[in-house]
Amino acid sequence: MTSSAAPLPTLLVIPTGIGCAVGGYAGDALPAARLLAAASGCLITHPNVMNGAALYWSDQRIHYVEGSSLDRFAAGELVLRPVRRQRVGLLFDAGIEPELRQRHLQVADGCRATLGLDIGPVVTTDAPLDVTLSLGASGASWGRLGRPDALLRAGEQLKDAGATAIAVVARFPDDPDSEALAAYRQGSGVDALAGAEAVISHLLSRHLGLPCAHAPALSPLPLDPDLDPRAAGEELGFTFLPCVLVGLSRAPDLLPAAVAGDAAGAPTLTIDAVGAVIAPAGALGGAAVLACADRGIPLIAVDNPCLLDVSAEALGLPVLPAASYAEAAGLVLALREGVSPAALQRPLPSLSQQL
Amino acid sequence: MSSLALSPVLLQLQRQPGPLLPQIQAALAAHGQPLRWAITAVPEPGALQIEAVVLTHGTAAL
Repeated sequence: MTSSAAPLPTLLVIPTGIGCAVGGYAGDALPAARLLAAASGCLITHPNVMNGAALYWSDQRIHYVEGSSLDRFAAGELVLRPVRRQRVGLLFDAGIEPELRQRHLQVADGCRATLGLDIGPVVTTDAPLDVTLSLGASGASWGRLGRPDALLRAGEQLKDAGATAIAVVARFPDDPDSEALAAYRQGSGVDALAGAEAVISHLLSRHLGLPCAHAPALSPLPLDPDLDPRAAGEELGFTFLPCVLVGLSRAPDLLPAAVAGDAAGAPTLTIDAVGAVIAPAGALGGAAVLACADRGIPLIAVDNPCLLDVSAEALGLPVLPAASYAEAAGLVLALREGVSPAALQRPLPSLSQQL
Repeated sequence: MSSLALSPVLLQLQRQPGPLLPQIQAALAAHGQPLRWAITAVPEPGALQIEAVVLTHGTAAL
C-alpha cells in the first residue's frame, strides 16, 4: 500500500483499560498502527497503542503522544513539533526495591549502548508514590497514586536538570494469583494496570508540558503455558521499560498553541492538518474523538470489541464504519488520495434519489 | 500546606442540545481538574455515564 499523495495526518485512538480485542494487551495494536502509518504517511497515536513492554517499533511516520496531550492536541490547545531526539529523564518511584530498580537501570543502559538513546538524568521521588488499582462502574480499569505531589516534585527536578521527556517507573502492586491477571494473560480480560498508568503520565505531562510515559515495576510472573500471544510482550524480560524509552526518544515536543507561532520556523503539526481520526466503534466517548468530531474531522469507527458500548448511534456522531483496521487503512488511503469513501460502497444511490 | 489528591468521579449527565464536549467539561470541573475521563455508557438516549479521575487541591499536612 503506497501513495504519492501528500501525507494525511491521522489520529489513532485505542483507549487503554477497556479490554479492546486489538490494543487491549501488550502493544498488540502495533501492527495496525504500522499499517495506518503506511496508509496515512503520518500517524499520531499514544503509548497504549505503541508500548509492547520489551517490544517496540520505531517509525518516523508515527508520532508518540501521551494520551492527555493527544486530547489537548485534538482540542487545538497544543501543537506537535517533531524532533530528532529527546533527552529522556528517568523518574523512579521510591517504593521500588533496590534489585528491581537495578534491573530498570540496566535496561536504560542497554538502550543507551545498543540503541543510542540519550537517557538521563535519574531522579527518585522523595516518598513512595503508593499506586492503587481499581475498576470503574463499567469495568474499565482506573487507579490512583497516593502521593501525586512527590511525582510532580521529581518531574520538576528532571526538567530543571535538562530532561526534555520523562519516563516514569512506579511500583505497582503485585497480585500474581488474581483472577483478573489470569484472564488478562489468557486474552480475555482488562489490563488492570492501565488506568493507573494513564493517570500518572497524564498528571506529569500536563504539569510539565513534556512528553511523558509510564512503565510499571512489577515482580516477574511464573510461567503461564496458556499465555495469549497479545500479552506475551510483557513476559520477555524484567521490565516494561524499553518501549517507553524508544517511544519517548523521538516523541514530538508539545507546544502551547498560543506560542507555537514563535517556534523558530520548525515544522509543526496542528489539529487543522488532521484528516482522519480512528477509534473503536464502541469507545467513541473520549475527549480526543469528541473534539475531532466537533471539528468535522472524518471519524472512522472500527469494529474492535471492548467492554464499552458507546457507539456512534448512541452519541449521534456521523462515522465511516470499518470492520477491521485493514479496512480502516483502506479508508485512510482513500481520504489521502481524495477518493470519496461513499464511492467505494454499493449500492451507490443516484443524486436524484438524494434530493 | 497545600496538598494534591486524585479522586474517582462517577457522573450521570443528561445531554443538552449543542456540542457535547463543553457540557462534559463543565460537569467535571465541578469536581476538580479532570485528568482522565470517558463516557462509559449511554443507558438511554441522551443519558451519559461518565467515569473520571480528577485532581483536587486540598489543605493538609504533608
